[in-house]
Amino acid sequence: MVTGLQMLSSADWLALWVSVQLSLVTVILLLLICTPLAWWLARRQWPGQSLVEASLALPLVLPPSVLGFYLLLMLGPNGPGGWFAQLAGWRSLAFSFPGLVIGSLVYSLPFVLQPLKNAFATLDNNQLAMASVCGASPRDRFFSLVLPQARLGYLSAAMLGFAHTLGEFGVVLMIGGSLPGETRVASVALYEHVEAGDYSNAHRLAAVLLVMSLVMLWGLFRWQRRRDAGSWL
Amino acid sequence: MSLEFSLTGKAGNLTIQAGGHLPASGVTVLFGSSGTGKSTLLKMLAGLYPCTGTIRFADQLWQDEPEGALLPVWQRPLGMLMQQPALFRHLSVRGNLDYVQRRRGKAEDLDGIIAATRIEPLLGRSVQQLSGGEAQRVALARALASQPELLLLDEPLSAVDLPHRESLLDMILAVSRTVPILYVTHSMDELLMLADQVWLMEQGQLIAQGPVAQALASLTGPLAQRSDATSLLSGDCGDYDPADHLQTVTVGQTSLLVPSAQIRARGASVRLRIAARDVSLCRQPPQQSSILNILPVTVDEVSPLGAGQHLVRLSLQSQVLLARLSSRSVRELNIVAGEAVFAQVKAVALV
Repeated sequence: MVTGLQMLSSADWLALWVSVQLSLVTVILLLLICTPLAWWLARRQWPGQSLVEASLALPLVLPPSVLGFYLLLMLGPNGPGGWFAQLAGWRSLAFSFPGLVIGSLVYSLPFVLQPLKNAFATLDNNQLAMASVCGASPRDRFFSLVLPQARLGYLSAAMLGFAHTLGEFGVVLMIGGSLPGETRVASVALYEHVEAGDYSNAHRLAAVLLVMSLVMLWGLFRWQRRRDAGSWL
Repeated sequence: MSLEFSLTGKAGNLTIQAGGHLPASGVTVLFGSSGTGKSTLLKMLAGLYPCTGTIRFADQLWQDEPEGALLPVWQRPLGMLMQQPALFRHLSVRGNLDYVQRRRGKAEDLDGIIAATRIEPLLGRSVQQLSGGEAQRVALARALASQPELLLLDEPLSAVDLPHRESLLDMILAVSRTVPILYVTHSMDELLMLADQVWLMEQGQLIAQGPVAQALASLTGPLAQRSDATSLLSGDCGDYDPADHLQTVTVGQTSLLVPSAQIRARGASVRLRIAARDVSLCRQPPQQSSILNILPVTVDEVSPLGAGQHLVRLSLQSQVLLARLSSRSVRELNIVAGEAVFAQVKAVALV
């Protein structure tokens, strides 16, 4: 009988762990970045907002290899990322975990931005105004009104961002370099198993990724359904 | 003066330019037809809509733009009620009250507010399960829970069904004894029931400010020109005849009989409303008329309304009564200023 731990080799567990770490760090950073960005896009009228939105949505339509190629140039020793890396004493940001995080931020941004933007757009202006009249400062209003009312948006954003980063392949292939424990993520490990003709390990890893993604999305949609039925919890 | 302001701002194509003083007590009704900028002016006063100019409340400077001084909304001691209750939908009724309580933290008498607005049975409910009238009562309670020194009400009855309006109006009247209220409406009924003072707004400007009886009685003013022009008289209650449901009300030396379903305390001050179209004039007191109230009055001023109509201002014991008559009657009876005549009042009601 194969137990859970024996199902994957330790190298694959490590790759999966890198994937999960990468997804977690990416999602947390994206939630922080996208909150003000989504607020600005959803609730302010500025010239040039459509162009900003179009640029941020590019990862949805570009082949990941195109994105990866540009990121490689940017992060490499001759790009701004390389210049920045030298300040920290590294040669380059490419083929490093921080580099992967930067790539994932770009790649998964639209998946976090969009749900937050929708959630902010549907907030009721009168309730926001009344919160002010009731004595809430803008900061207080964000935590006491916006955050609770945009909960579903935040949950969707986190789930989609996490799942999408977990499923990232093209970009990490270009800028990752498959260093075990550092940049070798589960999707790349799977690719390498297939390249090497090791189908039994490929099967197991693929199944784990499939189930993980399905469970996350299932949880999200179940929750959405319950909320649509009218309950606020 | 509680509130003093002079403001300029834009709302779409409309330029709002208004200044005034709000009395330190009672209800001031900001009256005008739709789209004249009343709600926007209210939001400007609250600090919810950008504008330039000054706003002073008691000894606080709320705004002095563009000089720079600006007290943000959340620090102004005001309560507000909008057309929509705008309750926080992620909180229960109780949660909505606590939200204010925690931030303003001054209302010791939350139980008193809950009792006065009769929302006790609603406290545990989600705000999404409330009817329009219930929700607006909760919104009023929420506004009161901040212990406001000024209440801004923007057509608070528009989302409330007819049978529940009266009780909400009574609650608002009760509040107005302790807190000055600025009340936006385009309803003549609400004006007659609530107003101590009236501010008339047209095209973004405040065109007149004054006591309600005076605003109603100004023949050239917009209220008298309306087909529902009405006079308000103040009087004192006398005897009540329970068999005929008639309340005696004395206005100066004159007594009127007013239909009333309930008895009122003798000597209580009341307001009477008499529509100008329900008043006719005669030179001699008619004999055996079905009309109960025939009052000796003096003609003050006669003004043509056009379309064969005249408006006549009468004085009754130093109060004003309006009559809307056909121009032919005015000519044939030769009604001119200074004459003593009799006013037949076909309908009169307690406000």
